[in-house]
Amino acid sequence: MSEFDRRGFLKASASLGALGLLASGVPAWAQGSSDARASEVLQKKIPSTGEEIPAVGLGSWITFNVGQDIELRNQCADVMSAFFDAGGRMIDSSPMYGSAQDVIGYGLDKLGARDRVFSTDKVWTAGDGAEQIAETSDRWKIEQFDLLQVHNLLGINENLPLLFRMKDERQLRHVGVTTSHGRRTEDLIAVMKNERLDFVQVTYNPIDRKVEDYLLPLAYDRGIAVIVNRPFRGGSLTERLEGQPMPEFAAELEAKSWAQLILKYLIAHPAVTCPIPATTKPAHAAENMAAATGPLPDDKMREQIAAVIGVLV
Amino acid sequence: MTEWWDYGLADLLLFSPRVYYRLFETMNTTWWLVVASALIAGLIASGLALRHGFRGNRVILVLLALVWAWSGFGFLWQYYQPINWAVPYLLPAFALQVVLFAIFAARPLPLRFGWRGDLSCYVGASLVAFALLVYPFIGLIEGRDLVQAEIFGSAADPTALGTLGFVLLSRGTWRWLLLPVPLAWCVISAGTLWVMDQYVAYLMLAAVWVTVFCGWLDLKNGVTTKRLTEAEIRDPAA
Repeated sequence: MSEFDRRGFLKASASLGALGLLASGVPAWAQGSSDARASEVLQKKIPSTGEEIPAVGLGSWITFNVGQDIELRNQCADVMSAFFDAGGRMIDSSPMYGSAQDVIGYGLDKLGARDRVFSTDKVWTAGDGAEQIAETSDRWKIEQFDLLQVHNLLGINENLPLLFRMKDERQLRHVGVTTSHGRRTEDLIAVMKNERLDFVQVTYNPIDRKVEDYLLPLAYDRGIAVIVNRPFRGGSLTERLEGQPMPEFAAELEAKSWAQLILKYLIAHPAVTCPIPATTKPAHAAENMAAATGPLPDDKMREQIAAVIGVLV
Repeated sequence: MTEWWDYGLADLLLFSPRVYYRLFETMNTTWWLVVASALIAGLIASGLALRHGFRGNRVILVLLALVWAWSGFGFLWQYYQPINWAVPYLLPAFALQVVLFAIFAARPLPLRFGWRGDLSCYVGASLVAFALLVYPFIGLIEGRDLVQAEIFGSAADPTALGTLGFVLLSRGTWRWLLLPVPLAWCVISAGTLWVMDQYVAYLMLAAVWVTVFCGWLDLKNGVTTKRLTEAEIRDPAA
């Protein structure tokens, strides 16, 4: 990790976040939010464009795949409402996630929140990517995505040029690729080195730290924003930590839960732009967003967090 | 680059147990009359299949065709498909099973259902009884409400399990054609349930193994290879 000075970056990022809020980083809707802390949410820059987004997003894997069930759809809309009210913007989905895209479209309709969301989805097909993107667009009921990613590198030779073409034609704002569970690392590295990506999405948490060795420094050096999936290992990490006493230094970081401590661990990494935890509970969505407020751990504390969690799980 | 076989079973599970079991709750409350009718159809079919010497073979096959059609359309298409993108690929198998039952019902010499008193019969009767009478209450052990019960004739799992039992209770050449679809469904569903940490997955797999074993036993004993004669159809007790 010699490519950059982590500690310096941490200090700078915290300052930048605060400055960003005073400038144009906070969307107009957030300024009038009833949640006072929404305006304190750390904003992180997308290196390729300089645009800032809140440092915690919202995933939809499993949690938003509720089919036609109107009661569960309304619960998802409540989660989105809590997320937006707490200062969140990025919502991520995929054609692979069953009805999640429809449910997000339903929630955006219900909340009238299309101007609030940083819309993030994926293309996941070895067939006609353009057709799938059009379907995705219909499900979100959105004309232009902020970010589309090639999901798990599937059909990348066809889909990545398609996304770049869409970006050139201003039908899309950012282009990315995703992997999860540490799959296809070599292929991912090759794409990161050879293509002008805006975003990359990888699995990262205090247990799965392999990306720290090479991928995150590479993303930082290449100016690629990093989305972190599976921050809680699909919920199993926070489940195993539930009931365990928090370390004393958590209070210094204003972390009130293991979830917040993990998210602080992640967003404190200079290369990380936005973890995307998923949840079915509005209170958890707000709690996750609150992790992007207050102090962040330095290198030493990050190591302590990883060590403590490593021992407990 | 990444191909389909890179995905593990857990990657392909895209819904939670909470959402999965809500499907049955919604279906049971919305379509309660059809759900009850399908269960009654299963009870009638089981009564006919276990009654020695009854000539209701075609009725049983038609009833089974109807419950598979309803389970495919009612459960898979209407409720399961929105949360599982793989369902459209599985629906043709349900349609095939309906067609197979219809063809067997229309044949001059349909399958003959009846009590033979061998191991396959005991296993078959147990599977039918389990699917019809026990399976709906399994959720209670896991703490689910009875309104989320998976009921034979509508929910795919007990329908497939019960069908395995009905086939084991039958005799006649080509009956094995009725096994691949319910067996495959049980394996697929066992995988889904296993990833969701539901212990009933082991029961589904056990049903698959025991059916395959009994099928092999019947083949060895000539139950499935011996052709039914006109006399046997006219006089089932023969």
